[in-house]
Amino acid sequence: MNQALLSKSRLADFVSYLVSGHKVVAPVPLQEGRFKFDEVQSLADISLNYIPTILPPKKYFMPQRSTLLRYDLSKGQDMEEMVELEKLVLFGVHTCDLAGIQCLNIVFSDRPKDLHYLARNNFITVIGLECSDYCDSFAGCAMLHNHLPKGGYDLFLTELAECYYVHINTQKGEEMIEEASIFEAATKAAEGELERLRSRKKELFTSEVPIRYQDIPRLFEETFDSDVWSQLGEKCLSCGNCTSVCPTCFCFDILDEPELDLGSGERVRVWDSCQNEAFAAVAGGDNFRKKRLERQRHRFHRKFKYLMDRYGRLFCTGCGRCSRSCMAGINLKRTISALIEERG
Amino acid sequence: MTRPKVAFFDFSCCEGCQLQVANLGEALLDILALVDLVEFREVMSEKWSGRYSVTFAEGSICSDEAAEKLRKLRERSDVLVAYGSCAATGGVNGMQNRIPREKLISTVYGDQWRAEETRGVRAIHQVVKVDYTLFGCPINPAEFLRLLTAILGGISWHASDNAVCVECKFNENVCMYDRGATCLGPITRGGCNSWCVNNGNVCYGCRGMVSNPNRAGAEEVLQAHGLKPELIAGKMGMYTGALEADDGT
Amino acid sequence: MEAETVSIENSGYRIKHGLLSRITPLTKQEKLLEIRLPEGEYLDHDPGQFVQVSVFGVGEAPISICSSPTRREAFEICVRQAGRVTTAIHKLCEGDVVGIRGPFGVGFPVLPLEGNDILLVAGGLGIAPLRSLINYIIDNRRDFGKVDILLGCRNPESMLFSSEIGHWQKRIDLNFCCSVDHAAPEWAGNVGVITALIPGVNLYPLKTFVMVCGPPVMYRYVVDELLKKGIPERQIFLSLERHMKCGLGKCGHCQIEDIYCCQDGPVFSYQKLKHIRGAI
Repeated sequence: MNQALLSKSRLADFVSYLVSGHKVVAPVPLQEGRFKFDEVQSLADISLNYIPTILPPKKYFMPQRSTLLRYDLSKGQDMEEMVELEKLVLFGVHTCDLAGIQCLNIVFSDRPKDLHYLARNNFITVIGLECSDYCDSFAGCAMLHNHLPKGGYDLFLTELAECYYVHINTQKGEEMIEEASIFEAATKAAEGELERLRSRKKELFTSEVPIRYQDIPRLFEETFDSDVWSQLGEKCLSCGNCTSVCPTCFCFDILDEPELDLGSGERVRVWDSCQNEAFAAVAGGDNFRKKRLERQRHRFHRKFKYLMDRYGRLFCTGCGRCSRSCMAGINLKRTISALIEERG
Repeated sequence: MTRPKVAFFDFSCCEGCQLQVANLGEALLDILALVDLVEFREVMSEKWSGRYSVTFAEGSICSDEAAEKLRKLRERSDVLVAYGSCAATGGVNGMQNRIPREKLISTVYGDQWRAEETRGVRAIHQVVKVDYTLFGCPINPAEFLRLLTAILGGISWHASDNAVCVECKFNENVCMYDRGATCLGPITRGGCNSWCVNNGNVCYGCRGMVSNPNRAGAEEVLQAHGLKPELIAGKMGMYTGALEADDGT
Repeated sequence: MEAETVSIENSGYRIKHGLLSRITPLTKQEKLLEIRLPEGEYLDHDPGQFVQVSVFGVGEAPISICSSPTRREAFEICVRQAGRVTTAIHKLCEGDVVGIRGPFGVGFPVLPLEGNDILLVAGGLGIAPLRSLINYIIDNRRDFGKVDILLGCRNPESMLFSSEIGHWQKRIDLNFCCSVDHAAPEWAGNVGVITALIPGVNLYPLKTFVMVCGPPVMYRYVVDELLKKGIPERQIFLSLERHMKCGLGKCGHCQIEDIYCCQDGPVFSYQKLKHIRGAI
């Protein structure tokens, strides 16, 4: 059985069931209509209707700061590779963020594998939640084909009139359903309702920018020297917001954090950003992306070309976070539109 | 091995940075196990007549007398650390450099003023060579400990050159601009763990700007949020007035 | 349900203990470090590959291996004091231990060189990875054709491996030529940029492979000279300098377009690089 139904009145029971056995994180409200993934105790804590959280769920897979190893100099440069693990249920993940997690999985599973990431990934259960409408004008999920679920979850919930339609994608998901024992078998009526919802979505969600998914890399290839990049370079403040909030930005720095007595400490990795001035600098003094326009162009090309060339999929999920958080009003959809217009 | 002799001194400042050190709590005990604290006016009355391994200097230099005292400290110190905004960039004291001296002094002291009493405000590095710099008004305790660790280990240490926004996003704060406020985070040197924004305040730019700020771009953003150019200039230069006429004297 | 810190193994960030068995100062800025792994372990690198060298408490730095893999019991790196980590490395003494990860990346192509002529062009510190290849060639000398070495450096005092270079100059099976940017009047050698030496090299373009390593500013000019000589693009190899932080193709610091220098390079053919904007 790959489908089940959860009556709306039982959703709170399902969250209670999850909370009874796991640490559950889900979107919670902040000020000014913003949200973040945070630990919840009950359905009442959760915002089911939310726009993308400030930080994407990548913070659980690849935290802002995480330990790679611990060293102890008193024992002759001893070291032990470490990973901080926590069993988590990630509840209410939208399809754009599921796509973001898939992108990270691809990168960190690519050889040489990143065991720190993969160990953490194994500890996280993902429960998706379907959007029935656009979050806001920044969203570009249809252009990136991420408005509909394409895997990346254990369970996926779609809200229907009376109940949630649940797609069970993994054995782990199935076991949760069994154990919670509040789910019912899917009905033909519910399946019909789901199909109608999806067809409605197909009409509602259309590529937000006039370009097809498969044509995007070529657009970027052909507009490398476009004036659009100089304009972005003039506006960009290099604050790094766009990369911190991006669900598929995974660049990092590696630092040693010694204890005060220097005898022991940790080697950690922390998020880094290609927008930071020194990101591509070398010790001799050369900086290979000194100009802001080069750094912004690098970011866009990473999303729409470079990683496509390397991993075979676009690394933008269409979540809109970069545009939503840009101090200078750099807007991803408008940038792509400008490139299309300039190319003619 | 003899423990390093560490001393704290202050010049023109509010002494808030040494208060941060005095308030380190348990970490201060850890430090005291590793160093000999030989002078620190805020916590002890002893003086030291020998050589200092590490001297922490707080405050800006506003008189010839202070400059002379600083030069003597430099001569007696193996390592000199400028800590806190006043020491690192001149701090808020530097704002007076933009006002003609006579006007400034007569406003403050009335007709009792003596012209030679003070001169323009200078950061520590504008008077003597500085080995390490710690920004912040006040200094951030966690960053102070990282710096001290580097100094004790003889490791070079660089202040962060990333914008405050970087850490602010790590902390997942709701952006001050979304809350209808203006904030200098996008162009201000970080390293503070977005301390102010975490606590509900905007960034005032106490660490000065990153080394290569997009000043014009930032001005445009602030103007779009309704700030007048004079106010923007005042905000951006609030902690760095002393650096504007950096003639190195 | 609490977060726990768990030990893992062979994560890619594990370091091996590298004993500094000999430290030789080369210039004011550069030292040659001979490093031995525990129990005589063979590093097993290719010329042109690099290792991550770490001093716990300070961090890691990517440094190219400058000894030939034909020498099995130890390897050497040439460290210029430039940043935090290299400054810390310079403070270490013989008998101290550094952390070693690697070797990483793709080095100079050794097998396609067999039977062909080789031109090596080194600028400044670029001689370090090329020295690995040169000593490899010397140890397998009859497998290769004519070998020319061009070296450029700032001044005679900054020349690395000068006594070893003296031996190369004496060999009849290596042609060595050097040029310095500045020199005192008593300097008998060439003065000027390294590119000026290229036209004078006597070579058969179609059977010559060129290996280039030097400061980034040098590449464009050197490549132009080589193309003028008629060397095919696929026979020109360049070693790129970038700040590889993880060495595992993840952290992004060494990325140029879709390539990661730490895994896909640092050595690339010009045929590949000419399509990659921002590479040289």
